[in-house]
Amino acid sequence: MSESNQPIIEIRDLQHAYKRQQALRSISFSVDPGSIHGFVGPNGAGKTTTLKILATLLKPQRGKVRVFGLDVVADYKNVRRKIGFMPDHFSLYRQMTVQEYLDFFAAAYGMDLAARNRVVGDVLSLTDMEARRNDLIKGLSRGMQQRISLARVLVHDPTLLLLDEPASGLDPRARIELMEIIQELRRMGKTIFISSHILSELALLCDSVTILDRGAVRYSGLMSGLNQSNGETADYLLSLGEDHPGVEVALQKISGVMEVVKDAKAPQYRVRFQRKQVDPNALLRVTLDSGAQILGFQEVVRHLNQAFMDLTEPGVPPMINVGEQEQPVPPPPMVSGGPA
Amino acid sequence: MKLPALALFERALRLETRSPLMCWSRAGLLGISLLVLFPIQAMARAGWYGAPGLRFLGQMVWVNLIFITLAGLSYFASAITEEKEEMTLGLLRMTELNPIAILLGKSTSRLIGALLLLLVQVPFIMLAVTLGGVGLPQILAAYGTLLAYMFFLCNLALLFSVVFRNTTTAAVFALIVLMLFFFGHYWAAYLEQSTALSYPINLNRGVWPILTAVIGFWHDATPSERLGAIFQTGFTGPVVGFQIWSNLAMGVFFFVIAWIVFDPCTREEKDSAPARQWLWRRTSRRSRIPAHVIGAKAITWKDFTFLGGGKFGLVLKFLVMAVLVAVCNIFLLESGSKVTSEFEGWTLIWISLISTIVWLALEASRIFKDEVRWKTLSSLMTLPISVPELAYRKVAGALIGTLPLLAFFVVGVILVPDKVGDFFDTIFREPAVFGMLVVVVLQFILFLHLTTFLSLVIKRGALPLAIAIQYLGGSFFMGFVSFFLFAGGAGVASFVIGFICLVLIVILHRAIGYRLVRAAAEE
Repeated sequence: MSESNQPIIEIRDLQHAYKRQQALRSISFSVDPGSIHGFVGPNGAGKTTTLKILATLLKPQRGKVRVFGLDVVADYKNVRRKIGFMPDHFSLYRQMTVQEYLDFFAAAYGMDLAARNRVVGDVLSLTDMEARRNDLIKGLSRGMQQRISLARVLVHDPTLLLLDEPASGLDPRARIELMEIIQELRRMGKTIFISSHILSELALLCDSVTILDRGAVRYSGLMSGLNQSNGETADYLLSLGEDHPGVEVALQKISGVMEVVKDAKAPQYRVRFQRKQVDPNALLRVTLDSGAQILGFQEVVRHLNQAFMDLTEPGVPPMINVGEQEQPVPPPPMVSGGPA
Repeated sequence: MKLPALALFERALRLETRSPLMCWSRAGLLGISLLVLFPIQAMARAGWYGAPGLRFLGQMVWVNLIFITLAGLSYFASAITEEKEEMTLGLLRMTELNPIAILLGKSTSRLIGALLLLLVQVPFIMLAVTLGGVGLPQILAAYGTLLAYMFFLCNLALLFSVVFRNTTTAAVFALIVLMLFFFGHYWAAYLEQSTALSYPINLNRGVWPILTAVIGFWHDATPSERLGAIFQTGFTGPVVGFQIWSNLAMGVFFFVIAWIVFDPCTREEKDSAPARQWLWRRTSRRSRIPAHVIGAKAITWKDFTFLGGGKFGLVLKFLVMAVLVAVCNIFLLESGSKVTSEFEGWTLIWISLISTIVWLALEASRIFKDEVRWKTLSSLMTLPISVPELAYRKVAGALIGTLPLLAFFVVGVILVPDKVGDFFDTIFREPAVFGMLVVVVLQFILFLHLTTFLSLVIKRGALPLAIAIQYLGGSFFMGFVSFFLFAGGAGVASFVIGFICLVLIVILHRAIGYRLVRAAAEE
């Protein structure tokens, strides 16, 4: 693997427990440089524990955690220089002004006076907080305090940003503005590892995602891989003008078609087939040959919300040791009816 | 049948009585009883003194009085302020709970928990009767005094807890009133006598007899005076004396006042963010931090500026010290003595030493506590420095705040160089004295470590608890050890006690580092 392709975050068989509570059960995944990687999971899944380990605040009990190829325990100082961690709470000195707060952290990261004055201006400009520079932090709104937290994370120009629930508790406008800032940061070449519960926004923002549930990785890979539900099988929805009994039989005869489920209320068929064996055009041809009128034909793409619900459902077996980017996802149960 | 008004009280009482801290406190007080009992019994058997029961009772009651005062101040003063600090008082007010229910639930439950701490000792204290020299009425009178005093203290602190926004302010004001209560009558009596001597006043006419009676009641209402009387051999006074009634009455009075002012004082929920002490808000766009402050030094600068008040804090401390020295001089001149360089020197040395001890103790109780409380430790811990470096940088920030105090010390030494020289000469000539000085210094360092550690472990009251532990541990454990070691000479005793202190310091030092890492991870 070349230097540039080396994962920025590499987690192998990471385990961590709080007394008797196993928070992380041998999780593995990696994050590519320059990407926005979503980290999702229900409450108590182990997201914050993972983030704290990556931020060098917690020592991993078992397994390997590398950031920029550096061990987070042995090389923690160098890791800290390259990361910016924004916790899920406001870690602010609220008796300071915005300028003092950012200036203090810039100085603590070893910047001289000229660099500090420049950097503080830059991060305030990026977060659109220039006008509040001399305000006391305790007087700022929640959204503004969140932006100051983000500005603090940026003062030492880290390559990797670890953001834990950055949008929690923000109003819609503040959330949208925060997401715009994050996209801007990606354009600046930063890698962003973001934990969030707001899946719709993550779906738009992220290139890749890791879904964690009860301390185990359920999926880790590209967003596109998650949307297509499975690399090997495909689900298509076929809508007809009216019921045509011959279509179901004809479709089932095609080699590679695994399942055809008819909607009870509408003339619609959900077809699952092997991607390698079946050309979707063949399905169309067979349907037309049966004399049916086709109104619609589209692949059923799972949204992050649905994938999250499917993968974190009780009873779904954990996919421990998922390390590679393109990992198979267990096919969701076939649901008759409209697209998910 | 459950009354809604008592719902909070019942819940709080259940939590208080089950809390591990209360269990440990009960066990600790019982352990102290034994620590007091054994040496007294041994000394009585050796014929060192008679009436060991009275001595045992006396020591236990004084320990309790100090413990109640120190620990009770922050414990009771935080009853309402902790809700204000966490901004949850508004939620309580939104429920059907009325002010009485909130006051009962938040304060009286604590009082009952604390009363249980005292009552649990009573069966063991009865041993004093067996030891001899004390009667049952004395035990009942002494513990009645403590219970009434605790009731008074609880409601006094509750009043300040309702009035002020944070626990520290409430506890400080409660302490000031308490000091006035304990010692104010001496000052009032002195003032009355001085006035009578200076002016042609007949103390038997006009308002003066009333004033004299008030001062007398004030004197009799203090638990220290009452206990002094109880521990007289052949005490025949009533078990329930004036002190008990007056303390109970004052307690009820403070509770009623707290109830009356509750609504106006808690109507508005204010941000409980830390105050910006003695600092103006600079509107310049340029950095406030000096150019040479780069890297971990910034942490020292932050603590010096925002915890210690920065340059203004230094000036203020300098002025306070100057005022204290001036007051000492006024007292000297009032007594008709002459101001000498020796007096000035020793005044400066002692005032600066005491002020430094007080300042460092206060700093130890909040240096890390504030970071944990405001959840800012995690952002400091992700700086590219180690935990010890972070901790020492913060300590350096606190130490800079002591510079004006040390300046006064140096001036004091310059004023009495020969006396200070004699002092050090004695120390270096006599190893035992030198050893004792080392032990005193080590004990203070141990105290600072203990305060810091407790501030990271318990929610409130680290400083009073550290004082209580240090006092009890110092006086009993060290006394116990030295009692058995003095056979080998004072030097051996100093060495052993110093060594124990050193070991405890190292353990606490490591424990503070461990707690810091854990606290940052738990944020």
